[in-house]
Amino acid sequence: MPSNTIVERVAADLGKYPPFDRLEPSVLQDLASCTAIHYHEEGEVIFNKGDALREAAFMVMKGAVRLFDTIDGEEVLVDLCDEGDIFGVRAIFGGSSYVLSAQVAEESLLYEMPAEKIRALIVANPAVSMFFAGEFAKSMQVMERTLTNAFDQHKLRYSEQSCRSFLEHETLEVKPVTNVITCLPDISVREAAKIMSDCNIGSILVVSPENHPLGIITDTDLRKKVVAQPGSVNERPVREIMSSPVYTITGGKTVADMVMLMVKTKLRHFCITEDGTVNSPLKGIISEHDIITSEGNNPAVIMKEIMTAENVGHLKKERDKAEHLLEVYISQDVAIHFISNIVTEINDALIVKSIAFSKAELEQEGLTMPPDVPFCWLSLGSEGRKEQMLRTDQDNALLYADPPPGRGEEVHQYYLALGRKVTTMLLETGFARCPAEIMASNEQWCQPVSVWQKYFSRWILTPEPKALMHSTIFFDFRPVFGEASLAAELKRGVFEEIARGRGFLEFFAKNALQNPPPLGFFRNFLVEKSRDHANEFDIKSRAMMPLSDAARVLAYELRIPDYLSTSERFRRLAELLPPEKDLCLEAAAAYEFLMRLRVVNGLSQQSAGRYINPESLNKIDRQMLRNVFVTIGQVQKTLNLRFQLDYIRD
Amino acid sequence: MIDRILIEAALLRSRKKASHEAVCRYLERNRKKISSWTPVQDIRFVVFDTETTGFDLKKDKIISIGAIALRAQRIDVGDSFEVLVRQENVGDREAVSVHGLLRKDIASGIDEKQAVAAFLDYIGDSVLVAQHAGFDMCMVNRILRRHFGIRLFNEVIDTASLAKRLEKGPYYNLAHKAGEYRLDTLCERYSIRLHDRHTSAGDAYLTAQLYQRLLAKGRKSGIETAGSLLMK
Repeated sequence: MPSNTIVERVAADLGKYPPFDRLEPSVLQDLASCTAIHYHEEGEVIFNKGDALREAAFMVMKGAVRLFDTIDGEEVLVDLCDEGDIFGVRAIFGGSSYVLSAQVAEESLLYEMPAEKIRALIVANPAVSMFFAGEFAKSMQVMERTLTNAFDQHKLRYSEQSCRSFLEHETLEVKPVTNVITCLPDISVREAAKIMSDCNIGSILVVSPENHPLGIITDTDLRKKVVAQPGSVNERPVREIMSSPVYTITGGKTVADMVMLMVKTKLRHFCITEDGTVNSPLKGIISEHDIITSEGNNPAVIMKEIMTAENVGHLKKERDKAEHLLEVYISQDVAIHFISNIVTEINDALIVKSIAFSKAELEQEGLTMPPDVPFCWLSLGSEGRKEQMLRTDQDNALLYADPPPGRGEEVHQYYLALGRKVTTMLLETGFARCPAEIMASNEQWCQPVSVWQKYFSRWILTPEPKALMHSTIFFDFRPVFGEASLAAELKRGVFEEIARGRGFLEFFAKNALQNPPPLGFFRNFLVEKSRDHANEFDIKSRAMMPLSDAARVLAYELRIPDYLSTSERFRRLAELLPPEKDLCLEAAAAYEFLMRLRVVNGLSQQSAGRYINPESLNKIDRQMLRNVFVTIGQVQKTLNLRFQLDYIRD
Repeated sequence: MIDRILIEAALLRSRKKASHEAVCRYLERNRKKISSWTPVQDIRFVVFDTETTGFDLKKDKIISIGAIALRAQRIDVGDSFEVLVRQENVGDREAVSVHGLLRKDIASGIDEKQAVAAFLDYIGDSVLVAQHAGFDMCMVNRILRRHFGIRLFNEVIDTASLAKRLEKGPYYNLAHKAGEYRLDTLCERYSIRLHDRHTSAGDAYLTAQLYQRLLAKGRKSGIETAGSLLMK
């Protein structure tokens, strides 16, 4: 019998780091009792590339270990492991020999754990298995669908956490929707779909003649079971495709109850019946959406307040509320695209309202909008991509139809006055001015369509790397208010111009490759392939921009006309580029992870969240980022091959 | 040489008396002396510590023994040992509180004879390692002599002396600055986190980590065989 005192000490050390922090005390002690402790001085080699695998993996308890590959006699740093990092995991999954060498970089205390023991833990414990799914990929230097696993794990951790903090505060009751749209099980799928589209609802309940719930048909069911299926399913009865049975509950549930239920069942709709079973009449329905939006601050309420606001002061108040809502959503781990959609809707509404206020003020000053020259307000950059979550700088522009001859100056002056008023109001609402003055208040960026076409022609036909870098935000323009057809016309023109100037896409792609991703983190440093390690992580330039740049290039190459966000672009690209489908989906998930991380960081620092202190990242975030960096590397490689950039000289 | 004779004599005696089996096993395993050419890598070291009711070699008693094995530079958590010794008549002595052992713990242990027999089985012919080893050896030997008429025959390494030897050379006079070679001071110097101090197993684990570092230091100055390590 090993010594209890020592086993407990070692177990406490192991339990400080993932995935062992998730183990039951008895399981952890069992692992500790098969652990061996190594001490190594700087420079000692733990194993070499090509060595036969040990029957054990290692965790760094103190010190640092560098993992490197040897290619053509050159050492290439792959990773630096510090306290709590696990290496040598190939031993767990088999294979014949190590693919990397491990050398002690700083005198180290290592815990050696038998591979067999960890294999048993992986089988018995989902958290451990998900952890190693990601960790293994990292040490193998391949990325195969593991990111998704890692994201699930991330979710697992956070959803539990958020539930807990949530439960303590939330006792509000969720009000179910009581005027439920239902249909009988025998009507055809086509009829059901028609009801759904007529009533503009995302789901329809199938009930028996006694009004007992039998099943549910959602948008997803229609997509997956009808549209995606060969042959005509349209005339078949709905009972064949409905999801059944439905989850039934009694009324009077609190938000906390519902969140727990949602996490536990992974369902998105819950039926309220008289006695809580499927054998009693339907009284109402609660959807995921109702649960999320029943938090005191409701986006619909905020939107309504904005629409009925009477002055700029009101707008600012609503934007502050929206920021609070953002915090709640982030803490509840609400899907990031859901959050960014809501924030974008709110920001757009603020702009629309500011334009209305400005127009009215100009009228009072005796200036009226030229009725025959419509305009379109454009958001640029991250706001154009619907990704602005925190209040960052304004990036906007104003586009108007080409005025009739002789009235150019008069129209320009009016829209410039409008642009100035709107940007000032947005400033008062809390959106800082763009330091580069890329705003509708700048006469350069308040122009008719023909001038805008010329701007884009210049960027496209005579691309200059530096000028291009500054112009990328214009390529993400999105119409927010006014005559959207003007924006569509502009976009068509851009596509035509790109088709003419062949070299442009290559330049654009090259620009997206300017920043190779870092390798990972080591203590408070960002580890780079070059030896200069940084002690600050610029999440925007090092991780988000490489992805958004790549998505933009491909979106323009494939002439995607819609105004999409980066992750939407990648999802669309996944459909358009079947060979790169997996990579595109990974990139979309990676981008959303980065957005969340940036928001969390921004909220905690009360900043735009761009600079992250590596110290503030936990082990799991670090591991996720390491995987994200691998994805970025893959995306860049793909872009490089696609545009054959290795053949282009600077 | 004298050890071998004593072992054979003790073996004869214990076989005849059919005394404790563990004692026979222990003596059998120690008949052969460790070769000075044995690589340090191949030696099983048992790092141990005893907690006692005080520091009087004649009157005080062992209340716990903790130990952990080290082989090929690895401290093997699974190969560790911890035993509480039941002692009657433990007075209100200061050591009792220092060790963090309550009197009821001491009363719950196993008896002294069984405890050392288990320890003999655990150590076998390993090289023993302890901080200020002389004291712990004396304490264990007293019990062995009383119950079985033998003493420990293993090779012994004192971590304090080894540290001194590696840091200052073999002829440094330890008497001047005894404080420099206390376990706490050594741990601090070799940056070992202090935990579970004053329990025998906790101290044994700390001593093992210290010894692991001393061996690494020793390797650099050419200590690679039993002979050079034990200076024989």
